[in-house]
Amino acid sequence: MSGQRGDWVQTSALWQLLFRVLSPLPAGNALASLALEVQARLVKSALCSQGYPRLALAQLPEDGSQGSRELLLALSWLLARGPVPEQMLAQARVPLGDEMTVCQCEALASPGPPAPHMEAEGPVDVRHVQWLMGKLRFRWRQLVSSQQEQCALLSKLLRTLERENQRLEAVLAWRRSELVFWRWMDTVLGTCAPEVPAAASQPTFLPWVPERGGGELDLAVRELQALEEELQEAVERRRVAWEAKAGGCGRGPEWSAARRASREAVEKELGALQQCWERDGGPAQPHGPHRLVRREDGAAGDRDLRAAVVIRTLRSQEACLEAVLRRLQGQCRQELARLVGALPGLIWIPPPGR
Amino acid sequence: MSIVTVQLGQCGNQIGFEVFDALLSDSHSSQGLCSMRENEAYQASCKERFFSEEENGVPIARAVLVDMEPKVINQTLSKAAQSGQWKYGQHACFCQKQGSGNNWAYGYSVHGPRHEESIMNIIRKEVEKCDSFSGFFIIMSMAGGTGSGLGAFVTQNLEDQYSNSLKMNQIIWPYGTGEVIVQNYNSILTLSHLYRSSDALLLHENDAIHKICAKLMNIKQISFSDINQVLAHQLGSVFQPTYSAESSFHYRRNPLGDLMEHLVPHPEFKMLSVRNIPHMSENSLAYTTFTWAGLLKHLRQMLISNAKMEEGIDRHVRPPLSGLPPLSKMSLNKDLHFNTSIANLVILRGKDVQSADVEGFKDPALYTSWLKPVNAFNVWKTQRAFSKYEKSAVLVSNSQFLVKPLDMIVGKAWNMFASKAYIHQYTKFGIEEEDFLDSFTSLEQVVASYCNL
Repeated sequence: MSGQRGDWVQTSALWQLLFRVLSPLPAGNALASLALEVQARLVKSALCSQGYPRLALAQLPEDGSQGSRELLLALSWLLARGPVPEQMLAQARVPLGDEMTVCQCEALASPGPPAPHMEAEGPVDVRHVQWLMGKLRFRWRQLVSSQQEQCALLSKLLRTLERENQRLEAVLAWRRSELVFWRWMDTVLGTCAPEVPAAASQPTFLPWVPERGGGELDLAVRELQALEEELQEAVERRRVAWEAKAGGCGRGPEWSAARRASREAVEKELGALQQCWERDGGPAQPHGPHRLVRREDGAAGDRDLRAAVVIRTLRSQEACLEAVLRRLQGQCRQELARLVGALPGLIWIPPPGR
Repeated sequence: MSIVTVQLGQCGNQIGFEVFDALLSDSHSSQGLCSMRENEAYQASCKERFFSEEENGVPIARAVLVDMEPKVINQTLSKAAQSGQWKYGQHACFCQKQGSGNNWAYGYSVHGPRHEESIMNIIRKEVEKCDSFSGFFIIMSMAGGTGSGLGAFVTQNLEDQYSNSLKMNQIIWPYGTGEVIVQNYNSILTLSHLYRSSDALLLHENDAIHKICAKLMNIKQISFSDINQVLAHQLGSVFQPTYSAESSFHYRRNPLGDLMEHLVPHPEFKMLSVRNIPHMSENSLAYTTFTWAGLLKHLRQMLISNAKMEEGIDRHVRPPLSGLPPLSKMSLNKDLHFNTSIANLVILRGKDVQSADVEGFKDPALYTSWLKPVNAFNVWKTQRAFSKYEKSAVLVSNSQFLVKPLDMIVGKAWNMFASKAYIHQYTKFGIEEEDFLDSFTSLEQVVASYCNL
C-alpha cells in the first residue's frame, strides 16, 4: 500500500463500487452525486440486511480512511453469492431491437385511416385542389423530418449498443480471470483474524430518508386515497345502474329462448374465428413484448414461445388476411367494372403491374 | 419535435424573451388542474419543443438572437439569466455595434449578405442540437428597419437551406399612427418577400393588443412590456402541448406541422391571426368563472364580426343564410361586414374541456364555398389548464381578418410611392422601383384572393 493517499483512493473506490452493486436502482446522476459517507452508510445497511457476517465492516469509518481489505472481502462475499456482473448487465441492458410483440391486439383495435370521402358530382373549385396539394406537400415535408429524426435516434442507439458491448466484454474478461481472483481472496481471508459472532451487539442502521420530499409522499398518498374513493363510488354507481337495468331480466320463457339463440350465434362466430386463427390449435398467445433469446439446450419455460410456433401462427394469419384482401380486391374490380359499364365512351387505363 | 426560434431586432428579441418566459412558467405552474403524471408529461413535452437540457438542469431556450446593436440583446440575455428558471445559450447571439436606422434596404441588401455566413452558422448549430427538428419560428416586426429587412433576408436564406423544414413568421403589425414615416414601405416590402419564402405568417396588430391591455386588463400606463406579455400569452396558449388526434394519452409531437397542415396549405392564403379569450387582470381572475358555452359563443362572434377582443363585439353581424350560391353569398357578406373564413383551429384548455361544444364553428355559413367545415375546422382539447386560467380558448384563423388593414397599408404606401417620397433611401442600397412594383402587385393579388372568398 503506498501510503495514506493511495489508501484513501482504493478504499473510497471500493465503497463506491459496493454502493453501485448494492443499490437497487440503475445508475443515474442523482445517486452518483451522493457523498461518500452517505454511500458508505447505505452499503453497511444493505450488507447487514442481506446477512453479511463480518462485524469488522460495520465498524469501519465512513470517510474512506481505512478498511480496503474488509471491503474487498465484502465484495467477494457478494460475488460468491450470486451472478453479480450478469445481474448488473441485465439491469442496464438496451431493450430496443431485443424485443418484439407477438399479439396483434393493438393493431386490430385501431380503426385505421378514415375512408376517403368521395364528393358527389359537381364543379370542382381549383382552390380546393390547390388546398389538397398543399396538404400533401406538408405531409411530405413532415415525412422527411421524421426520417431525419429516425437517423439521429438510430445513431444514438448505435452508440448505446457500443457501450453495452464494452460492458459485455468486461464481464467476459472478468470470467476469464475469476479463478485467480478466488485464489487470491483465499489468501486475504487467511490473513484476517477469525471473528467471534456476537449477534447481540450488531449495530442497527437506520435507513437514510431525505429531509425534503416528505411533502411529495404525503401528496401522493392523498392523491391515491382520493382516487380509490372515486373508483369505489364509480363502481357502486355502475353496479346499482346495472342491477336496475338487468334486475327484471333473466326470467321467463322468451328470455331463455333469446339467450339460447344468442349463445348459439356467439358460438358459431367464435368457431369461425378459431378456424381462421388457430389452424394448428396452438396455445393462446400471451400479450406484451417478448424478449428474443437464443438457447442452446432447447429448453422452454411455460411462458416461453418457440420461434417456430410463432412463425407458423403468423404465417397462417398472413394467409387469412391475404384471402380477405383478394376478396376485397375482387369486390373493387366488380364495382369498377360496373362504373365502366355505366359510362360509355370512357377509357379506363389500369395501373401497370400486379 | 423541436422548434428553433429566431429573434430578430429589438421587437423580436423582447417578444421572444416573454414567450419563453411564459411557456416555462406555465409549464411549472402547479394550478394545472390535472394529475401529477399528466403535469410531468406536459412539462416534458414543452421542454422538448422549446428548450434543451444542460447538465445542471437549467433549461436553455432553443433560440438564436440577432440584432444590429448590442443593447437589447444584452438586456434580453440578462433578464433570462436573472429569472433563474431558464437562460439563453452562450453562443446563440449575433450582434454588431451599430444599428441600421430603420432602413429596410440597408437591412436586406447590406447587413444581410454581409453577416449571412455568421448568422446561418449560429442557426445551424442550434438546429444540430435538436434530435428531431420540425421547423423555425421567426419573430420580427414588419415596419422597423433591422428586424424587417434583415428578417426578410434571413427567412429567404432559411427557405434555401432548409427547404424541408417548416417556417412560421410571427410578425408585428405596427401601430396605425406609428412613428416611422416609411413604415408602410417597409411593411409592404417585408410582407411580399415573406409571402414567397415563409409557410405561415402569424400577424399580431399592436393596436389590437393595446386595446386589450387598456380595456380588459385595466393597465393605465401601457408599456411595450405589457403588450409583449399579452402577445406571449396568446402564443403560449397556441403552442403549449395539446393532445394528438389519434389518442388522448399522448401529447402531439409536431404542433407546428399539424397547425400548418390545417390552416395554410394553400399558397395564396398564408395570413393567420390569433384571438384569445378570456383576457383579464390577475385581480379579476379570482372572482370570475366561465362556462365553455359562454366563451365559445363570444369567440365565434369575435370571428364572424372581425372583433379584436371580447368587448365591444358587434352583435348584429350574423352569418348569412346557407344554401346561397357562392357569388351572391360573397356580396352579401361584404354588406354585412361578415368575416368569411377559409380554415379555423380552436384550441381549448382547462376544466371539463371534453364537454365543450364547438358545433357553432362547424356552420358552413362561416366558411368559403370551396372548403367544407369537416375539412376547414379543427379543434384541439386539452385537460391541463393554461397559465392560471381555469378555462381558456384560442382561435387561430385563416380568414379575412387582415384584409382591410392590409389594403390600407398598400393604399398608403402607393400614395407615397406615387410621389416618389423617400424612395432614394431604398434605391441607394439596391432596392429599385421595380422591386416596389413587384411588392405592390403580389400584395394586391393577396388582397384580391382574400376578398373573393
